[in-house]
Amino acid sequence: MSIWNYVVTAHKPTNVTHSCVGNFTGAQELNLIIAKCTRIEIHLLTPQGLQPMLDVPIYGRISTLELFKPQGEAQDFLFILTERYKFCVLQWDAEAGELVTRAMGDVSDRIGRPTDNGQIGIIDPDCRLIGLHLYDGLFKVIPIDSKGQLKEAFNIRLEELQVLDIKFLYGCSKPTIAVLFQDNRDARHVKTYEVLLKEKDFADGPWVQNNLDNGAGLLIPVPLPLGGVIIIGEQTIVYYNGFVFKAISIQPAITRAYGRVDADGSRYLLSDLTGMLHLLVITHEKDRVTGLKVERLGETSAASTISYLDNAVVYVGSSYGDSQLIKLNLQPDSKGSYVEVLESFVNLGPIVDFCVVDLERQGQGQVVTCSGAFKDGTLRIVRNGIGINEQASAELPGIKGMWSLRASSKDVYDTFLVVTFISETRILAINAEDELEETEIEGFDSDAQTLFCQNVLHDQLIQVTASSLRLVDAISRRQLNEWRAPPGLSINVAAASSSQVLLATGGGHLVYIEIGQRELIEVKHVKLEYEISCLDINPVGEDPDRSYLAVVGMWTDITARIFSLPNLELLTKHSLGGEIIPRSVLFCTFEGIPYLLCALGDGHLFNFILDVNTGQLSDRKKVSLGTQPITLRTFRSKNATHVFAASDRPTVIYSSNRKLLYSNVNLKEVNYMCPFNSASFPDSLAIGKEGELTIGTIDDIQKLHIRTVPLNEHARRIAHQEATRTFAICSAKYIPTVEDMETHFVRLLDDQTFENIASFQLDAYENGCSIISCSFTDDNNVYYCVGTGYAIPEESEPNKGRILVFLVEDGKLQLVAEKETKGAVYNLNAFNGKLLAAINHKIHLYKWTLRDDGTRELQSECGHHGHILALFVQSRGDFIVMGDLMKSISLLIYKPEEGAIEECARDYNANWMSAVEILDDDIYLGAENSFNLFTVRKNSDAATDEERSKLEVVGEYHLGEFVNRFRHGSLVMRLPDSETSQIPTVIFGTVNGVIGVIASLPQEQYMFLHKLQQNLVKVIKGVGGLSHEQWRSFSNERKTVDAKNFLDGDLIESFLDLSRSRMEEISTAMSVPVEELCKRVEELTRLH
Amino acid sequence: MAGRLLHDLPSKGNFSASTNAGSISSTGLRFYVCDHDTSPPEDQIIKTDTKNILIRSLTLKKSKSDSKVKDKQRPGFEGKAKRPAEKTADERMTSKRTNTGSGSTFSSRKENSLTERDLQGLTVEKLRSLLKERNLPRTGKKEELVARLKQSLK
Repeated sequence: MSIWNYVVTAHKPTNVTHSCVGNFTGAQELNLIIAKCTRIEIHLLTPQGLQPMLDVPIYGRISTLELFKPQGEAQDFLFILTERYKFCVLQWDAEAGELVTRAMGDVSDRIGRPTDNGQIGIIDPDCRLIGLHLYDGLFKVIPIDSKGQLKEAFNIRLEELQVLDIKFLYGCSKPTIAVLFQDNRDARHVKTYEVLLKEKDFADGPWVQNNLDNGAGLLIPVPLPLGGVIIIGEQTIVYYNGFVFKAISIQPAITRAYGRVDADGSRYLLSDLTGMLHLLVITHEKDRVTGLKVERLGETSAASTISYLDNAVVYVGSSYGDSQLIKLNLQPDSKGSYVEVLESFVNLGPIVDFCVVDLERQGQGQVVTCSGAFKDGTLRIVRNGIGINEQASAELPGIKGMWSLRASSKDVYDTFLVVTFISETRILAINAEDELEETEIEGFDSDAQTLFCQNVLHDQLIQVTASSLRLVDAISRRQLNEWRAPPGLSINVAAASSSQVLLATGGGHLVYIEIGQRELIEVKHVKLEYEISCLDINPVGEDPDRSYLAVVGMWTDITARIFSLPNLELLTKHSLGGEIIPRSVLFCTFEGIPYLLCALGDGHLFNFILDVNTGQLSDRKKVSLGTQPITLRTFRSKNATHVFAASDRPTVIYSSNRKLLYSNVNLKEVNYMCPFNSASFPDSLAIGKEGELTIGTIDDIQKLHIRTVPLNEHARRIAHQEATRTFAICSAKYIPTVEDMETHFVRLLDDQTFENIASFQLDAYENGCSIISCSFTDDNNVYYCVGTGYAIPEESEPNKGRILVFLVEDGKLQLVAEKETKGAVYNLNAFNGKLLAAINHKIHLYKWTLRDDGTRELQSECGHHGHILALFVQSRGDFIVMGDLMKSISLLIYKPEEGAIEECARDYNANWMSAVEILDDDIYLGAENSFNLFTVRKNSDAATDEERSKLEVVGEYHLGEFVNRFRHGSLVMRLPDSETSQIPTVIFGTVNGVIGVIASLPQEQYMFLHKLQQNLVKVIKGVGGLSHEQWRSFSNERKTVDAKNFLDGDLIESFLDLSRSRMEEISTAMSVPVEELCKRVEELTRLH
Repeated sequence: MAGRLLHDLPSKGNFSASTNAGSISSTGLRFYVCDHDTSPPEDQIIKTDTKNILIRSLTLKKSKSDSKVKDKQRPGFEGKAKRPAEKTADERMTSKRTNTGSGSTFSSRKENSLTERDLQGLTVEKLRSLLKERNLPRTGKKEELVARLKQSLK
């Protein structure tokens, strides 16, 4: 790999952190706005349900998302604050369909200690000011004037240092905040302050409430007419407004999210850490509060945000499990739950660990993640590309083409599958036993290769062979008519609609025939100057039975020509360039836009937008799909038309957001494909592969496919063992009945069914910290090694742990060896037939020795001290790369002769690491806890010892995601001769559920893309005026420097979403043709 | 039990169709590419008042008491009782000065002993307000204002 890296998101963040409801896109439109850390999603509420609108990337990690409506405004404004102290106020411009920046700014202070409990951003209910609590002891005010304009911000001293929550109270003549805080005796109180905008200061507020529940953590301001505030504790809920004090005790629960149901604030939904949803009711007589009531409603995912939408439907956003859309029913279901889950939205976060495996052994990587937390813990199998679920297959070598036919035009299902070979045509049909059986259509020529066949008008069939075109009655299956090719000429290619046939014979003759009842009428015949290689007349106009355009691909001059029908007049001649002939052309309509697709013999594909009336072609784009000739065929799945490109790298072409997308099909090579929608195999495809015919259904047409394996416990580490075809995980089961007790397990799962085969329970307080599958010198077995640590509550750092060595035998986990350690085993690595363990501040190497009695044991060989906590270790040969808790990356070397581990070099920055990986011999990749990535390089050629002992920082980048794990591997199928397969990649998984890819590029490509990125920044602006350069700059508490040697793939790939004119703008600036730019960016999208 | 409390949930008619109410599909989300200018109107780039909070509160107090002085100079005006801290500060100040009249404040002291340099240090606005108090013309350049004030103080 290299120092020039390209970082791109393969799976976008799914961790929902905030949500709000308001009239954002229009005064009458109600929207749900969801924040997923670095993105916001805007949905519209409709009688039919939620209608998705926009997915907006934000250049920052969103810490606050609030809607507010200043006086006199019809629409809500959206206030967004990012963790790096930038804020913006957005307004939706419905006419332009754009997000307009109303205001923005930087609210960072030069000095100040960032708050421990996260940033707080609140807006006065009367829209007089925005209040921010970003640094301990400071409250920042951004005044809003009566016209909704923001004014210069200022800070006010806040006496309370340990603030837990701040909210604005309703109905106060001066803006008033309630502050929930903890004093230095750990007691919690609420205090109110009035914000004096003129004096830029606080005045004491109307009331104070001291000595609350020790677990009080959440304030809910109650709107008028009741006013006041609800204080949510772990054991009590309190209502107070200065006069009335009402309290209610509850089952102990840690409430994390609330959602207001009624506008008058009399009902709220509360969700606790275990996902239990409660309804909190303030009972009142007119404006006088008489009491509180809490009722349990049912279970959902543990919510991080709750938004009541409308009509008893609630959005539950979750960080630990799938987000849900639920309905509150008046009647409980059989389990006593009032909650009905209408829909779940997949959330991969937090990805704690993952592994890359090739389960189907097709060369297609799959990522298996440990996702979710607590009861929502799951394994997720993430796979790129579209899978074919094989339903039947038969050995059938030498297939030259396939078509499906219905027995009658009125039939819904296909009956026949016509399979043709070099000198015969066989007809297969599904018999009563649901088996494919050979049958006959009398009128067809079965002793010749079929070039084309189809159901046509008047319940007839056509078959085209080299010598003739036959018209056959579908009912009697007798031949009705025949058109013979002129003597000496044979038909090469043919295409038909329901009423028309276009044939090409040798010598460049193009014959247009119309189909009548029992007759074939030759309407037009032209001779072209060159041979014809392919043609199509698929109707794309209004009439589904008749096409008014024909496309013809030519030999010799390599052109695609559009002719009118029935006159066969040349409308357009488009030169494709190059020397490779077009092999397949196709008209098709995606999302209402007619396209011409044209595939070449070398695996390239052109697409054009077609003008149905004039036959003009525009917006030419070129992509590379494979290396072999492509055959294009349309098929329908889930009510949409897609195109299947059969080649050495089969691809499905589909359209989303009016953009053509190319998704790999997870098959090695497909020669022919035709849709085969039969009664016993509905919505299936027949696929002709090397020597085999397969019938199967196709996955949903999308890029990533995610399968969920619920565990109901928190999986923390995962390893795969090829030899036994199993996964082993370290997991924690939280049992609410036992006081704060977690039980930890090592579990063995089957790698196909994901069934739990065997479990091994760890001791009390013992946590599984690491797991690997490895083998040792002089031992043929493959073992699972598990490192653990005893997390005893009184100890700040574990000082005891174990290394457990398991052998999988007969589906059981056999503990074959056990070694006690003086600390938690944070990491295990297979190291040249030995075991390398990172134990607290030490690195230890163990060898696998045979005792006299024939049993095995781990014996300590050597170690290396002097780290804070050696959390992440990777090895390559004798080199060890270690990520320390707070001392960045060090490089160690094992010297076998001396039996010692020594430090060679280190990075002297103080980065708090979250993951490390070795990119190549000299370059190492690290992720740190301020959401940055960096690469360091070993300087083995440097002149002085001092320089050699230093790892030079070569790349820096702000990812904006907390990376938990890097793994070498790829999500896409690696084909030996495609260009992208030469690019080595590393996959990462993050807390927000992002799966990303880091690809090392050759320098030339890096430079090109770097230039493209620089040009893109000028065209694609940050939403809310946030700067891309600032967002991607490496930044932690100690320093902020511009990104270097990393490219933002998400930005670069959004080039493909630009309008044509914008693309041209960039193309001019770079002096590279649009087509070339599209092709190069398209290639990159195939990395993930 | 809880069912009773779930009556009359607010509704504006959304999710009313009997078909499956939920339908978020990430494919239906349009990826937003922002290719228009996103910078806000010039006066809406918000910055923070960088003045130290202590200094700010002192200057605010000062200007507040300034206005009090102005009020005081109006006949028949009786200032409210000041906070003790302020008072003592004032007293300390005034004790150093001989030429103070009635319970004067920080700025009035300064005003009475104005030198040209002090006047130069004031803003034009401030100078104008001082001129107004003395019923003098308030037009002209800063130097003119200073000269006029000096003249009046002599």
